[in-house]
Amino acid sequence: MKVNRRRLALTLLAAVAATALATSARGGHKASGVSGSITVWVDAVRLPVAKLYAKTHPKVHLNIVTYDGDGNGATTMQTKIQLWNRTNKGWPDVIFSEQANDPVWMGQKPFDYALDLKGVFPANLLKGWPKPSIAQCTVNGHLVCLQDNLAQEVLYVNKKLMSQFGYTVPKTWQQWAALGQKVAAQHPGYIIGTIGDSYGAWLYLWADKCPISQVTGVNTVRINASDVHCTRMAQLLDPLVKSGVVSYESVFTADFATKYGGDNDKILLMPGPVWYAKDIFSGTLHVPPGEMTAALPLQWNNEPLVTGQVGGGPWIVSKHSKNQAAAIDFVKWATTSLAVKGKVNALSPGYPSYAPAATVWLKSLNKDPYFAAPEGPAFQKAANLIWQGWSMVTYPDQPVWSNSVVTQLVAGKSLSSLLPALGHGLAQNAQAAGYKVVTN
Amino acid sequence: MTSEYAEATRRRGLRNLQGMPFVLPYLPFLVVFGIAPTVYALELAFTNVDGGWVAFHNFVRTYDDFRFVPAFKHVLVYTSVWLGTLVVFVVGLALLLHGRANRVSAGFRFLFYIPGALAGAASVLVWLFMLDPSVSPGSFLLHHVVGASIFAQSIAPGNLPFIFAMIAFWTGAGGWIVVMYGALNTIPPDLEEAARIDGAGPITIALRLKLPLIRKWIAYMVILSFATGTQLFVEPEIVQHASFGLVPDTWSANQLAYQMAFRYGDFNGAAAIAVDLLVIGLAGAVLIVTRSGLFRTDD
Repeated sequence: MKVNRRRLALTLLAAVAATALATSARGGHKASGVSGSITVWVDAVRLPVAKLYAKTHPKVHLNIVTYDGDGNGATTMQTKIQLWNRTNKGWPDVIFSEQANDPVWMGQKPFDYALDLKGVFPANLLKGWPKPSIAQCTVNGHLVCLQDNLAQEVLYVNKKLMSQFGYTVPKTWQQWAALGQKVAAQHPGYIIGTIGDSYGAWLYLWADKCPISQVTGVNTVRINASDVHCTRMAQLLDPLVKSGVVSYESVFTADFATKYGGDNDKILLMPGPVWYAKDIFSGTLHVPPGEMTAALPLQWNNEPLVTGQVGGGPWIVSKHSKNQAAAIDFVKWATTSLAVKGKVNALSPGYPSYAPAATVWLKSLNKDPYFAAPEGPAFQKAANLIWQGWSMVTYPDQPVWSNSVVTQLVAGKSLSSLLPALGHGLAQNAQAAGYKVVTN
Repeated sequence: MTSEYAEATRRRGLRNLQGMPFVLPYLPFLVVFGIAPTVYALELAFTNVDGGWVAFHNFVRTYDDFRFVPAFKHVLVYTSVWLGTLVVFVVGLALLLHGRANRVSAGFRFLFYIPGALAGAASVLVWLFMLDPSVSPGSFLLHHVVGASIFAQSIAPGNLPFIFAMIAFWTGAGGWIVVMYGALNTIPPDLEEAARIDGAGPITIALRLKLPLIRKWIAYMVILSFATGTQLFVEPEIVQHASFGLVPDTWSANQLAYQMAFRYGDFNGAAAIAVDLLVIGLAGAVLIVTRSGLFRTDD
């Protein structure tokens, strides 16, 4: 066996030398012809992808550096890029960030790190990204990033409980709210969503086209928390939060998991991003298998269907890169190759942003016996429905939601009464970050 | 008289020279990590990005920032609460310990010191659990005293200065109790003996004899703690991350400086806030030193 393998390896090596095809066969793509050395900074989740690239692209010397991914509001990259800018060297060629808004400041002064991928990245591949995803990565006309995975919002449904209670799955926010009132009366303790996460605004206000993070021109952001799209959603949520069918706790707290997850199994419905799928319901909350599935995102009455988004980590290429060809090839491979994005595994835990890869990836997700029914169709449709009026900005907006809204919701205040404070807080942050704030 | 004086001066000069080897190893570190950064901060605070002189512009600009006043208010409340409890409890407990039999007091000193073995960040992590009613051993207290049934309610904005003061107290107090105990041991036993013969009870001895004699040690503790208190960073930073932003990332003045430098790339503004903190720390120290006669050698 051992000898065989060695002989096989030798034969392979000879074949490679003879045909000068030194690139990956596993990737299933043509020889890219890139070589030299590049440095990539990735988070722990993207590490296996970088390692596989190094293995399958022996001509490229890959220096992999892992970091916290700038997750949860860390400012690692801000610090590092400034230091590299000061010393005028040391920039990595490629960075992956968990923070969807990182590319926005990376594409502007004083950081000025991101390369405009338009014209550099193969245009025929770019067509594979959904329009909202490309729009989100476009800052002042420059394509400063490419999302690795998407995080569109859908409605998660506990199919088992819904049929047990005799309810039908809501299609609109109004039906969802009406059902909530019913649940509060008939099955107290069960919930139809939670608003207590740092990205609560992205789930509910983004999904109703509330203009509180809308870049309307260079360094100009529209923040109008008294817009009807914000207030009507707040009014819809107020009684639901009050009666407890919409929780104000974060899904990541120990309390939430014990109260609503596991054997208690109290989650009936929940608007959430696609990465909730198995990670949160099975991993964090221990909802038993064979119960959860996903439905289309909720619609406001009969208005055109749009949805929100929570995250979707981007790849950013350095404009200082000495080996742009290899850097681009790396991002291309990491986002589009089926070797990475072909199925649900450690290489690709999240919904692939590149649509042709997503189609293949969903086939493997749909086969997962954890779900009561395939989640693929809802995910795929929602990918193109993300409302484009909510832009990524250089300042973090989630903490403002957390410390001006969530801290008060848990103290018993209503969301409607907190919208002015949210708008005010966002405007202050926007101005401090150098934006001009307008209301319409 | 004069020759005696000259002799004394000469002897003191010699003693200073003899002290040099003890000080020398510290000097490079003081210059590189203490004085040089301070000078650099001063330079940054009075210049702009291109290095041009802007006088007090950075100070005015940062003062006008909407986060400046809240951050300093938070720090003010926190420092007052913390210093108050620190002085009262550390001195009180040290005096109580000093009045006990030796074996009992050694046991208690060790007990008080234990929480201090958890350095800064680790102790905050322990407190994150203590403050979460779903896992805290003190959830009864959280329910009935704080009125919190979930973590987000425990760390309500109004509670924060007290929570951070409590964390800092438990990590720092033990060490200071040991220091104060050591200070109390330097009091000659015959003084106490004399006081007792004059009819002073344990309380009078503690308050009228021991307390004035360790006054300088208390002043020393207050100066150091005042500086660390105004420069609060670790506690709010970790709670901010752990709570996914329920606590603002610019809660304390030092955090605001950090955010300015490393999120917004505004090193000059950050330096201005750092200089504000330096001035506050220095002013506090000068006030305490002159009031308590910390460096006076004649008494």
